[in-house]
Amino acid sequence: MLKKRIIPKFLIRDGRLVKGIEFFGGWREAGNPVSTAKVYDSYGVDEMIFLDIDATLQGRPANGRIIERVSEEVFMPLTVGGGITTLGQIEDLLKSGADKVAINSSAIADPGFITRAASRFGDQCIVVAIDYRSGPDGAKVHTRCGTEPTDLDAVDWALRMEDAHAGEIMMTSIDRDGTMDGYDLDMIASLANRLDKPLIASSGAGTLKHCMDALDAGASAITISSMFLFTDQSPIKVRSYLSTNGCNVRSQHGSRS
Amino acid sequence: MIVIVDYGMGNVRSLSNAFDFLGYDAEISRDPADFASADRIVLPGVGAFGDAIDLIRSLGLEAPLNEQVLQNRKPVLGICLGMQLMAATSHEHGHHSGLGWFDADVVPMVSTPDAKVPQVGWNRLDPVGDGWLFRGLPAKGNDVYFVHSFHMKCRNAADVIATTHHAQTVTAAVARDHIVATQFHPEKSQDNGLQILQNWMERDF
Repeated sequence: MLKKRIIPKFLIRDGRLVKGIEFFGGWREAGNPVSTAKVYDSYGVDEMIFLDIDATLQGRPANGRIIERVSEEVFMPLTVGGGITTLGQIEDLLKSGADKVAINSSAIADPGFITRAASRFGDQCIVVAIDYRSGPDGAKVHTRCGTEPTDLDAVDWALRMEDAHAGEIMMTSIDRDGTMDGYDLDMIASLANRLDKPLIASSGAGTLKHCMDALDAGASAITISSMFLFTDQSPIKVRSYLSTNGCNVRSQHGSRS
Repeated sequence: MIVIVDYGMGNVRSLSNAFDFLGYDAEISRDPADFASADRIVLPGVGAFGDAIDLIRSLGLEAPLNEQVLQNRKPVLGICLGMQLMAATSHEHGHHSGLGWFDADVVPMVSTPDAKVPQVGWNRLDPVGDGWLFRGLPAKGNDVYFVHSFHMKCRNAADVIATTHHAQTVTAAVARDHIVATQFHPEKSQDNGLQILQNWMERDF
């Protein structure tokens, strides 16, 4: 049976790892991405996601140099996102060692881009990342690294992106980002039932129970960022907690790479 | 030297990185002269069957591959789509003929609410036979990384050396003599995958 996945999410700014709160403030330096990736490899996480958070606003694609160096020593699925607008940029990132790309703003600017990318590189290669904020009118998609609200309903948009041949959908609640207050369980539960593709739940993890709750609610995978970087919870503890509580995760063993 | 066949589909860099990491000399090439001088050949692939076999044929790689693998009996490892290409036929988006090294069909997997297709993620291996390719993997925790919507159905059951379970029994690895292939990605399966690549390299065919 397919295992639930634990995925550290690394935000990159100027070649360094950072982590903030609700996308905009409280930025903290979190180390060198390549050496941090090697540490998480030794913890036996299931995949890694690298998001170049300045790329879209600076009008350039994610920096491939970091993934190139990570892929020389880390042998697990690697996803890269940030500022991707063309098929050529996807090809370059795949050649740099990425297995999947995460696309957010350019899917909103041009939904056909997802279909074209999936038909060229395969659905499995295209992760559509959706950032949203919840309000009185429901959950609304935000674009350009959370800076611009749209009228798109987050659930509708996720389903539309699945139809457009996204391989996986990653839902990030901006309200919860960096707060460590728990995942958006209502969103996960309502969406997981309706999606055929895997749902990656992102933002809000602060305790081991939060992780369990998100997977119980129907997520195929969870990303963890602040909790790994700024608390003493390691992937080993997460995996052991999930496994003890009956969640189907990979059994624990380190890495020799 | 290992030659990783580059026909334009798949993350060949990760494969060459994995062999480099293990201390083997691997080159990425689409030059038949390199297939001839290689000790071993790896046939990778990610994407659609029809596109891939068309590319292999249009690049003139089918005959040189057949020559090295079928006539010269050079050890070959297929990975993911590279494994499926070794089947006689595929039913992915139409009907395609493959390299035909295995008497097998590539058929769609059944999607269920609990086991969605594509299968994306880590799943357990159930080795069949002596398990030489999986030697050294922990009995509990031999998971490897899969990404696929179709799988290979072998007419000769003896060709199957591992299965996995995803709503149905799925062919995870096949071997006949010097022709070996995995549906999963050893180059993306951390320690287990590196061990599998090492086992393949250390096998005398």
